Amino acid sequence: MKLINCPINGVRPVSEFVFGGELREMPDPDQCSDADWATYVHHRNGAPGLKKEWWYHAPSGTWFIAERNTMTEEIVRTYLFGQEEEK
Amino acid sequence: MPYRLLKFALKKEHDEPRFFRALETPKKSYDAVIIGGGGHGLAAAYYLAKDHGITNVAVLERGYIGGGNTGRNTTIVRSNYLTPEGVNFYDASVKIYEGLSEELDLNLFYSTRGHFTLAHTESAMRTMRWRAEVNKHVGVESYVVGPDEIAKACPQLDLSCSGKAPILGALFHAPGSVARHDAVAWGYARGADRLGVEIFQNTEVTGIDVQGGKVAGVQTSRGYIATNRVLSAVAGFTPRVCKMVDVKTPIVIHPLQACVTEPMKPWLDTILVSGSLHVYVSQSSRGELVMGSSLDPYEVHSTRSSLDFVEGLTSHMLDMFPFLSNIKVVRQWAGMADMTPDFAPIMGKTPVDGFYLDAGWGTWGFKATPISGKTMAETIARDKAPELIHSFRLSRFEDYELTGEKGAASVGH
Amino acid sequence: MSMRLPRSTGEWINRDKVIKFSFEGKDYTAFEGDTVSSALWAAGERALGRSFKYHRPRGVLSFANHDVNVMLTDGLDTNIRGDVVTIRDGQKFVAVNTDGGVRNDKNKYIDSISPLLPVGFYYKAFHTPRRMFPFWENIIRKAAGLGIVNFNFPRVTKRKLNRHCDLLVIGAGPAGLSAALVAAEAGLDVVVVDENQYAGGSLSYDRAGSGELATKLADLLSMVNRTPNIKLYTGAYAAGYYTDHLVPIVRADGITKVRAKSVIVASGAFEQPPVFRNNDLPGVMLGSAAQRMIHRYSTKPFDKGLVVTANDHGYRVALDLIEAGVKVLAVVDLRASGQNADLMSNVVRKGIAVHTGQCVYEAVPTEGKFGVKEAVVCPFDEATATVDTSKAVTIPCDGIAMSAGWAPAAALLYQAGTAMRYDYTVQQFVPAKLPAGVFAAGKVNGVFDLAQRVHDGARAANDVLRYLGKPAADVVVSEHAGAAPSHPYPVVPHPKAKNFVDFDEDLQLKDFINGAKEGFDNIELMKRFTTVGMGPSQGKHSNMNAIRILARIRGLPVEKIGTTTARPFFHPTPIGHLAGRGLHPHRLTPMHAWHEEAGAEFVEVGPWMRAAYYKKPGLSKAEIVQEEALAVRHAAGIIDGGSLGKFELQGPDASEFLNRFYTGIFSSQKIGETRYALMLDEAGVVVDDGVVSRLGLESFYVTVSTSNAAAVYREMQRCLQTWKLNVGLTNVTGAVGLINVAGPKARQIVAKTTSLDISDKAFPFGEIRETEVAGVPARIIRVGFVSDLAFEIHMAAGYARHVWDALLAAGKDEGLRPFGTDAQRLLRLEMGNHLVGHDTDGLTNPFEIGAEWAIKMAKGFFVGQRSLKIIAKRPLKKRLVPFVLDESYKGQMPQECNLVIEDGQIKGRTTSVSYSKSAGRVIGFAYVDPNQASPGSRFNIRTDSGVMVKATVVKAPFVSLQQGA
Repeated sequence: MKLINCPINGVRPVSEFVFGGELREMPDPDQCSDADWATYVHHRNGAPGLKKEWWYHAPSGTWFIAERNTMTEEIVRTYLFGQEEEK
Repeated sequence: MPYRLLKFALKKEHDEPRFFRALETPKKSYDAVIIGGGGHGLAAAYYLAKDHGITNVAVLERGYIGGGNTGRNTTIVRSNYLTPEGVNFYDASVKIYEGLSEELDLNLFYSTRGHFTLAHTESAMRTMRWRAEVNKHVGVESYVVGPDEIAKACPQLDLSCSGKAPILGALFHAPGSVARHDAVAWGYARGADRLGVEIFQNTEVTGIDVQGGKVAGVQTSRGYIATNRVLSAVAGFTPRVCKMVDVKTPIVIHPLQACVTEPMKPWLDTILVSGSLHVYVSQSSRGELVMGSSLDPYEVHSTRSSLDFVEGLTSHMLDMFPFLSNIKVVRQWAGMADMTPDFAPIMGKTPVDGFYLDAGWGTWGFKATPISGKTMAETIARDKAPELIHSFRLSRFEDYELTGEKGAASVGH
Repeated sequence: MSMRLPRSTGEWINRDKVIKFSFEGKDYTAFEGDTVSSALWAAGERALGRSFKYHRPRGVLSFANHDVNVMLTDGLDTNIRGDVVTIRDGQKFVAVNTDGGVRNDKNKYIDSISPLLPVGFYYKAFHTPRRMFPFWENIIRKAAGLGIVNFNFPRVTKRKLNRHCDLLVIGAGPAGLSAALVAAEAGLDVVVVDENQYAGGSLSYDRAGSGELATKLADLLSMVNRTPNIKLYTGAYAAGYYTDHLVPIVRADGITKVRAKSVIVASGAFEQPPVFRNNDLPGVMLGSAAQRMIHRYSTKPFDKGLVVTANDHGYRVALDLIEAGVKVLAVVDLRASGQNADLMSNVVRKGIAVHTGQCVYEAVPTEGKFGVKEAVVCPFDEATATVDTSKAVTIPCDGIAMSAGWAPAAALLYQAGTAMRYDYTVQQFVPAKLPAGVFAAGKVNGVFDLAQRVHDGARAANDVLRYLGKPAADVVVSEHAGAAPSHPYPVVPHPKAKNFVDFDEDLQLKDFINGAKEGFDNIELMKRFTTVGMGPSQGKHSNMNAIRILARIRGLPVEKIGTTTARPFFHPTPIGHLAGRGLHPHRLTPMHAWHEEAGAEFVEVGPWMRAAYYKKPGLSKAEIVQEEALAVRHAAGIIDGGSLGKFELQGPDASEFLNRFYTGIFSSQKIGETRYALMLDEAGVVVDDGVVSRLGLESFYVTVSTSNAAAVYREMQRCLQTWKLNVGLTNVTGAVGLINVAGPKARQIVAKTTSLDISDKAFPFGEIRETEVAGVPARIIRVGFVSDLAFEIHMAAGYARHVWDALLAAGKDEGLRPFGTDAQRLLRLEMGNHLVGHDTDGLTNPFEIGAEWAIKMAKGFFVGQRSLKIIAKRPLKKRLVPFVLDESYKGQMPQECNLVIEDGQIKGRTTSVSYSKSAGRVIGFAYVDPNQASPGSRFNIRTDSGVMVKATVVKAPFVSLQQGA
């Protein structure tokens, strides 16, 4: 079982975590076209690679960002949302 | 003993011909190139040649034929879906499957065993009724049955599921079948090859040449091939191929795992699925229990196995069949499921002229192999998708017209 | 005729304890520690099973669970591995997969009709005519399979343990033990596992006729036992390798999940059978099997026989056989040259003839193929793998030991992602690039010399130390010297075949040739077409030969063929072990014990157990539900709603947060007021609903549905981060109890328990008060889900039972009655309230359920708003409406999820249907065509039996309201 390093709780098995999908920039709803919004809502960057993802440590209720290679499952680093620079 | 077997004994030499030619060098151009030598790609090639007379076709397979999800699924064929368009589509597939061994002259071990989707909760019973009613409406034999009928079909099943999730009833689907998955790919490969289609194994597509919004060719590990029509039938590799042509899709790859036990004498005659317990199981003609469960919960582009999968699955298997405690699991494996948000495929044309998509097969691709081949062949031949797959078009996401299959998957508690 | 040898040191049997067992109806004795195969072999039995396909008699092949020749049932359990499973006193065994027993298997005829059944025969027959397939399939299914499942076998729940360590060493042979000692000396916490009953690996059997190695093993083990930071588990196999060094170790009593910082795979190698005609006869066995038999079980493999070999090991086997009193007639060596001079002269000195450049062309069976009668030996040309049968000689014998090469036991290395390469100096696949933290040592690493294996273990241990950032030494392991331990092509053709490659699947040389001929000339395709390696032993004894054969067929070097993917499990692993105890935890409300005493039937809702209804003798569930509901309509009911999701939000941005999270407006909400809260996802789909109460300017209390609570809370947390709002969010779901008292007498009852003025004027519908109930702090909300006169009381979970009891006492004379979720469902329907997830599905948008009133499009951004703007432009496809059936309707009751049909088309479905005593008719919700959604419209529901029932769209609620009475 995969191990994930929660920035608050340290290394825990993946069964304690909930995957929250890729961290994505929401387009400005007032400015974007219907088509762009539909693309944002439905389409995903499905190709493998190093991605910034939301992960949630369920027992402690901690959301954080993991930079994970979706091909190898390797997690390069984890940090709380918005605290990337401090790492 | 069938006569065909006597024939083998009477011959001195084993002179069975190759299923398909061993080709190394592709031609400079083809009328159509199919990326992916799985069941879907090979079926599309076969029907392109057979139904539409388009035989100047190359199938490019990165590994070996049928080596992707065709050879990794749990071989269940059924059509008891929730939406009329889904039921019609999969029913058309079942109908082709029923005659496919004869058509391809290869025994696919297509075995109609009946399929029970067990309901352990009131809300699951509601969904079963919904499916049954829609199935009946379009003429597919599915109905809701009670515990007694389940017990009759599978007397070994613990209807209380060890007291944890008593079975209230089931959706019975008479045409539910299993088949020898590899053979489906081999049969289509042989059929296509004999009609002139060229199949290249160990041939990777590294790029797709798009000029002025139209497909012009493909770059491959065996050189450039000119073509105006490219079908992507690559399941777990769809996002990678779509990236080559900058076509956006909702597809996300999740591993889907399965496992198999040691062979035992036949006792499980039906196919059983439990949504609540996340188990589906049938017994193969070799005597193994073939078991699957739900998708892995996060994106991974790999076919690695996990221990928690098999721990969870076996625990639920014992809830249903406590006597299997000492039966041994021989092997676990995984496929890369190309999941869509509405649990329906993506089929047909794309914003890139000449680039056709046969994708989004998630956990339900094997059962659609014949009909997807047939409809995609027609789409390529006519540059227009047939009505049967209209609901599965890529543009449905932009149109906010997701298919209703999502309904069933997310109903209830 | 006993084959048991005199007592020897290090044997694995306890001669002081004799046990009894039977096999195929005949009684035998064994010593404690004997496996079924060792005891039977010692008793002179040879035919211990029948093969899978051709039903040929089979004996011992690997004697190490690398084949399944001996598969047994004891009446209780099935597919028992006779070679490695020790006997318990009184067990009665029979072989699986025979029809009439091993001696008289009626299916033995299949062996003689095998020409009818070439590789893949079943793909080429039985399918025409189509109608005949089920007939043939039935026969094939019955013929397939091994043991018969015992449906009375009890459910076994094995414990699971977790173990963390610095280093896990897999394999307690010389390399593994050496690695463990070196690592432990450097202070690492080391776990060593070995699948055998005793440690030692090859030291426990490969002795080359000398007692010296037994002493060496004893010394090594005593050192290990004296080292406190080495924990050695025997009878324990590493079942698989999973991400981040997770290795489940399977023992008889359960699985230990070892999470190691590093792993050394020192799992050795599987000996591979040379391929020649009748190499599967009982009495023909691997050299290592003969050695195991001699040294572990003090049993003579045969009386007089020969050794066929292609490496040094065969000579060591010959020496062990001689030492055990076997008359070794000859050593037949496939190799023309390259023999180890010392070993060869040792053998020759014992008077044994060595025939180099020769092979066993075939083993000739005794009557019934129960054993070997003689061996046919003839010259063998290594380069072409051809034989010169004109020079064949026949050697009468009763056994043949085979040693032609090895395959690395590299399954776990492959699973970990190791890239392997083919090493021609050892003619074996060896690790080329190992994943971080994974190391290999010993035979699996291509190191065969005993001294070098010990070095290699030390080398690997130092690699581990380096990996873990500790000081490490450089240990040099010498390159392999001398002849390769494996022969590149130990395959002898024979026109009459039966030269087996895969013993599990009865695959012969020609099956591979023919498979390749048909185009299955890729190792993965070949595996799938021939089924090589797909049997229970997963190719342990067959995959390497299959690769060699395919390479030869294609004229390619072995490394170009590659290997098939190794997957868990290393050995087939029992479902009961994997399942463990199957824990199934639930959350219980503070009143759970009370519900149990009151006869509640429970239902799972999300993670919670809730009371569905309270059983009453003589009444059906439906009758009880109607009674419980009627009590609420005519007097009062009380329900435990503790499972509802409950969140506290505090902070200056709390109302802004709710504005964005839900579709309504909360910034204008007055303190003490409650508002309906509808939650959408980004696609505009209805996800959940609940109630938002404003407790203060910056303080809100939110309740959400039970089953969505965790997901809603999670999403709230995430939105708080991305929106960067100043809000404190606390999930108080489990900390707060919830009791709802509803019905015309609710006010009277609740009034008795609180000092708050709860008159309609002082405390109108839709408001919240912070007060006390039964002397404890509580919040009361006037909500109207099941009745418009209801008081939802929230208090600390620890007080909930106290309040519950107080309310019951207060309602004792008022007809207060507890009701469960089933009645609640009916009551809310009567009130015309839809239930998200019941009346909606995964695609429902708010327009379809008539929730436009709850959506404030004009306010600023909220989740789902942008999508709603798109959806609003599109035609509405269906609409949820309240409906009734005619009072006079007496036909089949429509069910939930029956279809709404107009003109033969599906227009929608019913989502809620129930008979309501209060309404005096069947009521429900259904999706209908928007054109038929106005009150008074009639539409058709098709019942289960196909009857069309007319329903009428009405306005909810279905019952008259209390209007604050």
